[in-house]
Amino acid sequence: MRTNHTDDDLMAEVARLVNELDPLPPGLVERTQFAVALDDIDRHVELEVAQWADNRPLAGVRGGMPGTITFFVGDLTVMVNVTRTGERQRIDGWLVPAGAHGVEVRVADHGSAVTTADEGGRFVLTEVPRGTTQLLVRMNAEQSRTVVTPTVDL
Amino acid sequence: MTELQTASMVKPWAELEGRDRHAACMLAARDGDKEAFDALVADLAPLVWHVARGSGLDRTTAEDVVQTVWLALLRHLHRLTEPRALAGWLITTTRREANRIQHRAGGTVELSQEMAERTPTTDPSPEHEVLRTERDHQLWSAFHKLSQRCQELLRLTVIAGRAEYRAVAEALHMPHGSIGPTRGRCLNNLRSLYDGDSGS
Repeated sequence: MRTNHTDDDLMAEVARLVNELDPLPPGLVERTQFAVALDDIDRHVELEVAQWADNRPLAGVRGGMPGTITFFVGDLTVMVNVTRTGERQRIDGWLVPAGAHGVEVRVADHGSAVTTADEGGRFVLTEVPRGTTQLLVRMNAEQSRTVVTPTVDL
Repeated sequence: MTELQTASMVKPWAELEGRDRHAACMLAARDGDKEAFDALVADLAPLVWHVARGSGLDRTTAEDVVQTVWLALLRHLHRLTEPRALAGWLITTTRREANRIQHRAGGTVELSQEMAERTPTTDPSPEHEVLRTERDHQLWSAFHKLSQRCQELLRLTVIAGRAEYRAVAEALHMPHGSIGPTRGRCLNNLRSLYDGDSGS
């Protein structure tokens, strides 16, 4: 680089590097559009966005390998164990604090599967298609409270 | 669903640009037009991404934050009083979310190494391309030695463009007029870091 570069030249180089070396991940726009396409969320529902725990031993799941992942928001923690069953998968979950909360698993281009956790907070969904996946938890005691996750590729 | 009736209609935001387009999309999205919301995501996801990355998040976490911010917008769609201030709201919300995650994680991510590894130095390309890559590598390394604030400001002004200077200034809590001079100082720092690196 020449030090006589004008600010505009240097800025243009920075712009090029930012765009070339740190681009928006492919498909992120589409995954985000899927994540926000929540049909039955009206404005009276208090939507809380959960955070995926990014523990190193679990990181492989983010790359598409089965395993256990956890998400949490406020006092709610949900552990999700994913097991491959042929082309599909089985999802075992455990909610804390326990309660008969509604659980929905949305998979892009595959609709969604719904179940209710038992009193111990456990739930099972079988034959879930693989793909870009989002989980929703509708809190039993507070009808207006719904927890939603960013998508994860399972 | 609204898709059926909207498919053949001219979108009020289709021919607009910048703030006007985003404001029109916001208003349409409030009325249930999902296509308008999707257009906002497509237009402004890069802004949210670079704010998240400029705040020091790794790429995986930044991806989650991008989605979290848009879900937050979905939640706040009817509460944002000024549709034209959307870019500023997105920047502020993204920075807040990034800070929240970093505090929870108990530290910031070291970016330089990750970014250095992403530099495509193994690409079998003509010599001038290799040289260009080497130069890019050094400039990119220098960029990551800048203060977090400079990195953030430079990324933001790259992505947001001059039209959104005001939004950038407000989100960074800087007086509007000081963005240009501060950017100039950041670029000078970048020059010094680069020259120190390459020994030229």
